[in-house]
Amino acid sequence: MSAQAGGLPTNLRVVAIAENKNIKFTLGRNTEMRKLPSFLRRLDRRRFLRVAAGSGLVVAQLMSSAAWAADADIDLSKWSPEYVKSIAGTAEFDTAAHCNEIVPLDYKGRLTFWYQRVSEADPEIAKEYYDKFFETFRATYPNIELEEQGLDYNVLLDKFRTALLGNAAPMAIRLLILGGIEFAAKGYLEPLKPEDVGYSTDKFWPGAMKAVTWKGVPYGIPTNNETMAFIWNADIFERAGLDPNHAPETWDDVVAYSKQIHDKLGIAGYGLVARQNAGNTPYRFMPQLWAYGGGVFDEADPNPTYGEIRLDSPESKRALQASYDMYVRDRSVPTAALTNTQSDNQAPFIAGQLGMVISHPSEYSKMIELAEKATGADKEVAEKVVANMRYGLIPAGPTGKRAVVFGGSNISILKPEYVEGGVVDTKAALAITCMWTSPEWSVKMAWAASNPGNLDGFRTKWFKQRLDEIKFLDVTTSMLPSGIPFPALPESPEIMNIIVPDMMQAALTGKMSVDEAADDAAKKVKDLMGGSL
Amino acid sequence: MTTLTDASARYRKSGSARTGLLHRVWQHRTDYAYVLPAIVVMLIVIAYPVYYTIELSFFKTPPGLQLREKSFIGLENYATILNSSVFWEVTWNTVVWTVASTFFAFLLGLVCALSLHREFIGRGILRAILLIPWVVSAVAASYVWRWIYHSDFGVLGALLVALGLATEPPNLIDNVDRVLPALIVVNVWREFSFAMIMLMAGLQTVPEQLLRAAQVDGANPWQRFWHVTFPHLKGVTTVTVLLLAVANFNGFIIPWIMTGGGPAGSSHIWITHIYELAFGRQRWGVAAAYSVLLFIIMMVLGVFYVRALNRSGRSREGA
Repeated sequence: MSAQAGGLPTNLRVVAIAENKNIKFTLGRNTEMRKLPSFLRRLDRRRFLRVAAGSGLVVAQLMSSAAWAADADIDLSKWSPEYVKSIAGTAEFDTAAHCNEIVPLDYKGRLTFWYQRVSEADPEIAKEYYDKFFETFRATYPNIELEEQGLDYNVLLDKFRTALLGNAAPMAIRLLILGGIEFAAKGYLEPLKPEDVGYSTDKFWPGAMKAVTWKGVPYGIPTNNETMAFIWNADIFERAGLDPNHAPETWDDVVAYSKQIHDKLGIAGYGLVARQNAGNTPYRFMPQLWAYGGGVFDEADPNPTYGEIRLDSPESKRALQASYDMYVRDRSVPTAALTNTQSDNQAPFIAGQLGMVISHPSEYSKMIELAEKATGADKEVAEKVVANMRYGLIPAGPTGKRAVVFGGSNISILKPEYVEGGVVDTKAALAITCMWTSPEWSVKMAWAASNPGNLDGFRTKWFKQRLDEIKFLDVTTSMLPSGIPFPALPESPEIMNIIVPDMMQAALTGKMSVDEAADDAAKKVKDLMGGSL
Repeated sequence: MTTLTDASARYRKSGSARTGLLHRVWQHRTDYAYVLPAIVVMLIVIAYPVYYTIELSFFKTPPGLQLREKSFIGLENYATILNSSVFWEVTWNTVVWTVASTFFAFLLGLVCALSLHREFIGRGILRAILLIPWVVSAVAASYVWRWIYHSDFGVLGALLVALGLATEPPNLIDNVDRVLPALIVVNVWREFSFAMIMLMAGLQTVPEQLLRAAQVDGANPWQRFWHVTFPHLKGVTTVTVLLLAVANFNGFIIPWIMTGGGPAGSSHIWITHIYELAFGRQRWGVAAAYSVLLFIIMMVLGVFYVRALNRSGRSREGA
């Protein structure tokens, strides 16, 4: 996807504004003519260039191939907050026209669809976009009878598994990134790749595609991908004698900062989360584990094989020890960490009773909402917290290794034999997949808590709007290339949702020592991979 | 020695018995037709799942494979369960949870029922208030109690600190030793109203004349309760205790919502553990074996329950 030095780039793309029509479109190796508006399909390249040249705009771009390529495509090697800002708002897409080429807008059919709905922790705008999406889908495809069902993150997997056992699954589902491989490996899902809905695979994060690929076959299309950030209250830092403008550089610093905040102010320093069966726990602990050089397997290595279990390695134990030090030794984190999810941390954070958390960019919007709802003296405190919110990179490990979970969701289509009635309306399923994974809706549906799965989403005007409206968004987007996906194994949900939190709880409650808890967890992973009962 | 005549007589007898049974069924065919739909529904929604669970308990169901790819392993799932240290830990939690919840819910219900049995101003209002825990959704109540107990910002902790009874909020549900008692308190709070209602109904059956006679004979309140009232409550007590025990054995909502079985599995009871095994870890075979064991216990309690109901029915008929 990088620009070619000299001459025309191989992935030829021309951005043009057609005469008197404010339509921006692209032509390229990965773009098929049939996806273009009909009046443009009649043009061959030579005639098209003539038209474009006539506009007087394309010529200027053709004069400088380097600038032309940079403007026309996304280069992941250049990823940075500045780069993201530079590409935002440089392209326009007509979702309905594109999806019409995949499934005609007058298509008549029926679709059952489940998705992971927005949570209570998300701001109102996220909920509004979800409502808007389904409203728009119904308007765009008025003859598709859609029966959608939104499910909570922590319930979706359980319910879907149960439905599959009774052959009562929906025709299509938007699954959390952790769940895709499990169902693909068991043969429940139909192969599905971005090209099936008219997008190119290289328009999606490689890590995201890896998370939906089982034995070389993709079984879903990423809708959104995100990495989290480290958030702190600068006022609390200042009062505790810490540098208010800088996040702790390492996880050892987090332990030290948390203790200092607790000792000086009598409040919790870091918002540790260690609840069982909750997705929040691995999203916050795995970056810590990886930063110290540990891991469940070798998932943090450049080319993981998942052949070696590392939960009982000295590095993993050191990461667990850091949590133990905060919870047991220093008592500098919430005592309720064992039953808390991240949404339970929101109330103490807005009340100025918690110094640091790991969360999405949406946390800022959520805090603004909470501050608006507060009254009296609480409002004053909440507004002060919002004004003092700071975002930074997730802390690094002792050797400078910085890691973050590459999160997200994917849409998959079920095989008919597992669906109620034994029939899947594939076209209807492709229609909703096309729309959700489009540059437009992959931005809007990830408005507050995530980022577009379709990289073209970063080039839309809506992404530019996001950058303008959502404070600190650039911090979380800039970490995307260093995101590490969960191991692409069918056993991953159990490892991340049960074994890892169990390990933390066993150590933090004193039921086992840190060494014992890590060894026990490693044994559980080994047994699981070995197929024990 | 069996003779041909004896055998023929037995055959004739059993044949006539069968004819008699069929005849009686035929005579009551309309009655059977009325209950047939209910029986069919029960076979579908109760009998088949029970059969399927028992069948599944003899199979290995690897989490990485579809359920249809299960393999027969006989009693291995049961052996795995009984040899697992987690099983004994969870069983102990279940026994403590069930016995303590049942005992204290019944005791509190009895105290309330006796108090409300007397006439006093505001009795109706108090009775309505005491019924609230029972009518409130268990899910909603669990969330509310989670915040009451919250280890950092809980209402209870704040109250204790404000009253000077504690220097910091008590750690109840994030502590392996205190979590189960804390959950039992919530369960008792929720269930005592049920016991109260049952016992209040039972108290209506205690003959007033006997209580007056005992009073005339010089029996003090405790003696009147122990020797007159309580014996009359025997039937309703048995039924109430059995129903509470069954409900508590299967009491999923409170422990699951409040702690998810944690911390470190210290509030896992059978039903939450089965749920986690099945839906969280997809060990359907092991979970089915657990369920069969639970089913057997439930059936035993069920037999006692039916017997208690029959006894209670007979005593009413006798009266």
